[in-house]
Amino acid sequence: MSALPTGDLRVFAQYERDFTEDVDVAVVGSGPGGAVVAKELTDAGKRVALLEEGPPFTPADFELDGALSMARTMREGGLRATRGTVMPTMQAIALGGGSLVNSAICNRAPDFVLDDWCTQFELEHTTRRDLDPHYDAVGKFLGIAPTPENVLGQRNLLFKRGCDALGYASEPTERNVRGCRGSGECFTGCRTRAKQSLDLTYVPAALRGGASVLTSVRVERVVAEGGRVRGVAGRVVAPFTGRPSHRFRVNARAVVLAAGCMATPVILQKSGNLVNRSGQVGENLQFHPGVAMMGVFRDEVTPQFGATQGYQSRHFLRDGFKLETLWAPPAVLAVRLPGYGESLKRRLAMIPHAAIWDAIASCNRSIGRVRARARGLDPNLSWRLHPQDLRILAQALWTLSEIFFAAGADSIVPGVYGIPEEIHSRAEAEVLRTRPLEVSDIVIGGNHAFCTTRMHGDPRRGVVDEYGKCHDVENLWIADTGVFPRCPSVNPMWTGMALAHRTAQALAERL
Amino acid sequence: MLGWVLFAIVVGYGVARVAVGHPRPDRRFARLARGEAAFLAAAAEANFPPGGDIMASGFDAGIPAYVDRLLEVLRPRTRLQMRMLFFLVEHATLFFPAPGRGGFRRFSSLRPEQRVAVLEAWERSRFWQRRFVFASLRAILTLGYFAHTPVLRQLGLAPLAIESPVCEADLLYPRIGALPESIPYTRDDLSEPSDGTPLALDGPLDPRYAEGAP
Ligand SMILES: Cc1cc2nc3c(=O)[nH]c(=O)nc-3n(C[C@H](O)[C@H](O)[C@H](O)COP(=O)(O)OP(=O)(O)OC[C@H]3O[C@@H](n4cnc5c(N)ncnc54)[C@H](O)[C@@H]3O)c2cc1C
Ligand code: SF4
Repeated sequence: MSALPTGDLRVFAQYERDFTEDVDVAVVGSGPGGAVVAKELTDAGKRVALLEEGPPFTPADFELDGALSMARTMREGGLRATRGTVMPTMQAIALGGGSLVNSAICNRAPDFVLDDWCTQFELEHTTRRDLDPHYDAVGKFLGIAPTPENVLGQRNLLFKRGCDALGYASEPTERNVRGCRGSGECFTGCRTRAKQSLDLTYVPAALRGGASVLTSVRVERVVAEGGRVRGVAGRVVAPFTGRPSHRFRVNARAVVLAAGCMATPVILQKSGNLVNRSGQVGENLQFHPGVAMMGVFRDEVTPQFGATQGYQSRHFLRDGFKLETLWAPPAVLAVRLPGYGESLKRRLAMIPHAAIWDAIASCNRSIGRVRARARGLDPNLSWRLHPQDLRILAQALWTLSEIFFAAGADSIVPGVYGIPEEIHSRAEAEVLRTRPLEVSDIVIGGNHAFCTTRMHGDPRRGVVDEYGKCHDVENLWIADTGVFPRCPSVNPMWTGMALAHRTAQALAERL
Repeated sequence: MLGWVLFAIVVGYGVARVAVGHPRPDRRFARLARGEAAFLAAAAEANFPPGGDIMASGFDAGIPAYVDRLLEVLRPRTRLQMRMLFFLVEHATLFFPAPGRGGFRRFSSLRPEQRVAVLEAWERSRFWQRRFVFASLRAILTLGYFAHTPVLRQLGLAPLAIESPVCEADLLYPRIGALPESIPYTRDDLSEPSDGTPLALDGPLDPRYAEGAP
């Protein structure tokens, strides 16, 4: 076995044989959690190997076609779904993890969420005052700022108009973006290089600091002996096909799992059910299920122009939902439209006059779990939407309809089974409020996922402490959204990065 | 003995109805079987008939070829699920017939108005599982329809040409599958990052979506 030099980046075409590496810390996963940890630890003088299963994408590798892009950048081709309540959920497989394909929305978890976390989960150092310095550090590094007005476009401004008319607070979304040109292409990769995804920011910074960044390597297990973790082991895998080839092992004084809240519990389960004395590994899976609605306006909206999700309303956070504007490749948006034949074509032709907005709901009663399958590392996901959480989604749909009509929409296409496919007035939209909905009546999706290795002050009830250290093993840490104790009520990425920033500091102090 | 003969006839008839007699497609596919291509062509035409608000029909959009490309890039399990979906809708009418004479046929062998009626029955079903199957099929067909560049051009939604500035990461990452030696940039090539000038909507289209693109 050959040794890898530190401070370099490895891509699939370079692996020629099995290899081993010795470092201080092995970080598994280069998404918002792992990349932050890798950079902060190298800054603290540690030798770090950042291990990522996906490849790095260059602008020439981006596919503009929605489905082909998903097939290349998302796990299970973007068709992963939960059982129980069937809900699609996407996780990226790429250097930079979800940040490559996400809309860059950055929100701090609100005070009431952090208060709830601290009181319900016996956390002492996860208050606003504790976390704000970490949010600030990440925010500064990534240039997180409100979306500038010149790239909002009609799709975002109509949302503001509707909220203003109803007296609902709304604001331009804060995003990790520098020089956004309003292409609305965040989902397929930012060709203007404006989105400050982790592959463009924290990963290069970690490399500069001397980290080894190994891409196309799939960690299959954590190696543990005598109550301590010794490193990780796995296989080199080909981009897109996932075909395994060479074996590798990385020996490390500490391991940080940041493979995302679906993959981290599976790796632990495949490693002899590691750190699971609490029985909580893979439990408590929560999502922010989302619903979307299209509103059609008399004048052209040119919805393809404008920051992808440039406006939001946190007015209803305490009621359990957040409202946002939305754009994605037209093909991906169109799959939600009802009908077939002539009527479907007519609706598709309305898209240039349409705006699409969505709501994400804090479904704290809807809990699921992640289990390893007998073969491979793809998770088996079960999750069920609780009837009370369904009511929150129904209220969110009604509120979206209200905002559309207040913004001057001629009609809305709610996409709900059992009610008219097109609704032309606010009065008609009352049906969204009055008709009891079944889960199967609405189309939901859940790309924000968390809590599968949750933090808890009590080692019997959580997997990690509030700094991300596993309760059961001294030198194993977790730094992805799986550590959230409960749904954060807002988009999770910034909170995940702030917690990872803190984890890196705590780990650096202990090593 | 007679029992075996009857059984063989029934089995033979069943196999013939499921697997034989599909028209030969006008091109070779890497993944799609002849029957799958016939099904997709029929479903595409029923879902996106000629005329109406968008000129291109499902047939013009070459949806089977798109799905073939998609199947190529999907992992085996997902590929299998997708093919099972096609099989299910194609053959469901052998058990639950389409309205009208000759309704007990494969979807792709039905008359156009029967295919539309079948899609309607899937979409309006009171069983969510059937609606789910229909929504999944429609999603695949819609993705294929929008991949036909004239559709996006007619709607004014085709992606614009964007020149990517060269940033530090471009000096680090080769194209997927290539070696770092193939990275075409050096420090001298680093360009100014985006200054946030909004995209001009009347600018040229991305070459993959421009008139005459394949
Ligand atoms: C389409 C989409 C849009 C979104 N929009 C937003 C948004 O605007 N704002 C927001 O806050 N959130 C958004 N999210 C959610 C956000 O992207 C995620 O919450 C965030 O990326 C989670 O970060 P993470 O580090 O926990 O995990 P991930 O980003 O999933 O990163 C985990 C990494 O680990 C790698 N990995 C997994 N298993 C292994 C293994 N065995 N070996 C090696 N590597 C492995 C993965 O390939 C991946 O790169 C969006 C998500 C999606 C899918
Ligand atoms: S909207 Fe376009 S330019 Fe702006 S960050 Fe997203 S992909 Fe980049």
